[in-house]
Amino acid sequence: MASSVFYKWASRKDDSRVTFDGTGITVFDLKREIILANNLVKGNDFDVHIYDPATKQEYKEDAHVIPRSSSIIAKRLPVFRPAKSKIPLYLGNAPGNIPTSDTVVRGTSTWHKGAMSKRFDGKDDQSPMKM
Amino acid sequence: MSDQATLSVTMLGAGQEVGRSCCVLQYRGRTIVCDTGVHPAYSGMASLPFIDDLDWSTVDCILVTHFHLDHAAALTYITEKTNFKDGKGKVYMTHPTKAVHKFMMQDFARMSSSTSDALFSPIDMEMSLLSIIPVSVHQLIQVCPGVSFTPYHAGHVLGACMYLIDIAGLKILYTGDYSREEDRHLVKAELPPIRPDVLIVESTYGVHSLEDRDTKESRFTNLVHSIIRRGGHVLLPVFALGRAQELLLILDEYWKKHPELHNVPIYYASSLAKKCMAVYQTYIHTMNSNIRTRFAKRDNPFVFKHISNVPATRGWEKKIAEGPPCVVLASPGFMQVGHSRELFELWAPDARNGLVITGYSIEGTLARDIMTEPEEFQGLKGNTIPRKISVDYISFSAHVDYAQNSEFIQAVKAQHVVLVHGEQNTMGRLRAAMQSKYKERDEDVKIHTPRNLETLNLSFRGERVAKAIGT
Ligand SMILES: [Zn+2]
Ligand SMILES: [Zn+2]
Repeated sequence: MASSVFYKWASRKDDSRVTFDGTGITVFDLKREIILANNLVKGNDFDVHIYDPATKQEYKEDAHVIPRSSSIIAKRLPVFRPAKSKIPLYLGNAPGNIPTSDTVVRGTSTWHKGAMSKRFDGKDDQSPMKM
Repeated sequence: MSDQATLSVTMLGAGQEVGRSCCVLQYRGRTIVCDTGVHPAYSGMASLPFIDDLDWSTVDCILVTHFHLDHAAALTYITEKTNFKDGKGKVYMTHPTKAVHKFMMQDFARMSSSTSDALFSPIDMEMSLLSIIPVSVHQLIQVCPGVSFTPYHAGHVLGACMYLIDIAGLKILYTGDYSREEDRHLVKAELPPIRPDVLIVESTYGVHSLEDRDTKESRFTNLVHSIIRRGGHVLLPVFALGRAQELLLILDEYWKKHPELHNVPIYYASSLAKKCMAVYQTYIHTMNSNIRTRFAKRDNPFVFKHISNVPATRGWEKKIAEGPPCVVLASPGFMQVGHSRELFELWAPDARNGLVITGYSIEGTLARDIMTEPEEFQGLKGNTIPRKISVDYISFSAHVDYAQNSEFIQAVKAQHVVLVHGEQNTMGRLRAAMQSKYKERDEDVKIHTPRNLETLNLSFRGERVAKAIGT
């Protein structure tokens, strides 16, 4: 039987769950599942953080195992330089790279492909308005 | 010290960026949120402001300045998906903003429901709309003991307002997007009659100067005319509502004066805008004297003589693209997807055609990237498309430029100025320019540029506050 861990975005009313096999899930895998389930794959200006709801302590160690049937709190918090976002890390990509899996290009998100990806290299200091 | 009270200002979005405006004010146990926008360069949850660190049930009110998505589109998510409704919080916007917001959200929901990124259901949207309390400009609204506000005209788009907020005697002016230049249909932003303690002001254009209206309009109409003369098609990517109405007024008048153009159609590709024309006609009394006078003479300016709707058939983009010269206003303004993108891909390889960007383009969108005039770009199908179409930028975006913004900031005379809704570098230059202005005059005005979730704490001495407590 599949196991689950319940997570709640800190600002949301309702819970969601991540299912997996086994008695527990690592923080790394849990974050990865949350990122995929919420289609946060192209994030470059935030990270996902998870916390113990009772102690409010953040689970910082990716290797830490969260036992099945636990509940956790998730937050999306800003990072100020795109290269610093750890989202690609959880998707198996080098930091700063854009994932190229199918999930990235579905729906309205196709605009950022190809030549458009240049801007992810970091903010340039040019005048934005070209007047 | 017990007679000191601290105002904290936390940007959940639009802190050193343009997009997802959301500003939280906390003072003496009260919490006010100004604007609840999404970031147009992102989709789904990634487009929301950083809402996770706020207990939404403690919010006393949400004040939405105008209907643009980057100021209003996260409202449904916040009222329906967070614990906002567990509290006593109220939501306010002006009558025209509410009327247009409804159509904007229906369109927004329709666009995102076709993807995996839908943030809420149509029912959530209906529920959220029911909780909005519409207000009139200049009305004094009492939210709860100790909290009141008054909306003032902000120009920018129909219904846009600034909020002068009073929390236990402390006065804060939040401008939202604003314009100090009267255009063809709107009044310009007002200077509120009261001097606030804190001014929270947009900084989209930083220290840039914009052309005056006449220069800009004639440059625009000349450009459009010259593209048609060379046998090209003119593409104007716009948002369905707001500046599009201004462009239509300008083009309609120009066509009237140029009979040789009467066989050249101007298409306006927006069913959303069609629905909203009724709202524009309803709120003619809130527009400027130019519009009101024409209306009084039974000349309804929003009944355009030279603007056609596009054929309601599938694939019209292709038909028009292959046809004779014409002008098309098509949404969305940033060309990520949709009609404007489709037309752009069809027209890009032909040098006779012309693209005119007429609004502020947010970082991370095609409309912004194309301004560097790359030789080719990637199409939605992953194909490489050569770009021969001419690219021009003429801003009709109705934000203040440097001269207007700095004049307004000085006239408001707040002791603390918080810059929001501007990119990091743009904002930094504006701050430096304002600081040297104040230094020259030996005035002690603090200019702040907080990043998202970096709370700014401002302390105020007791006297000002003490007299207002208990009101
Ligand atoms: Zn706006
Ligand atoms: Zn805006």
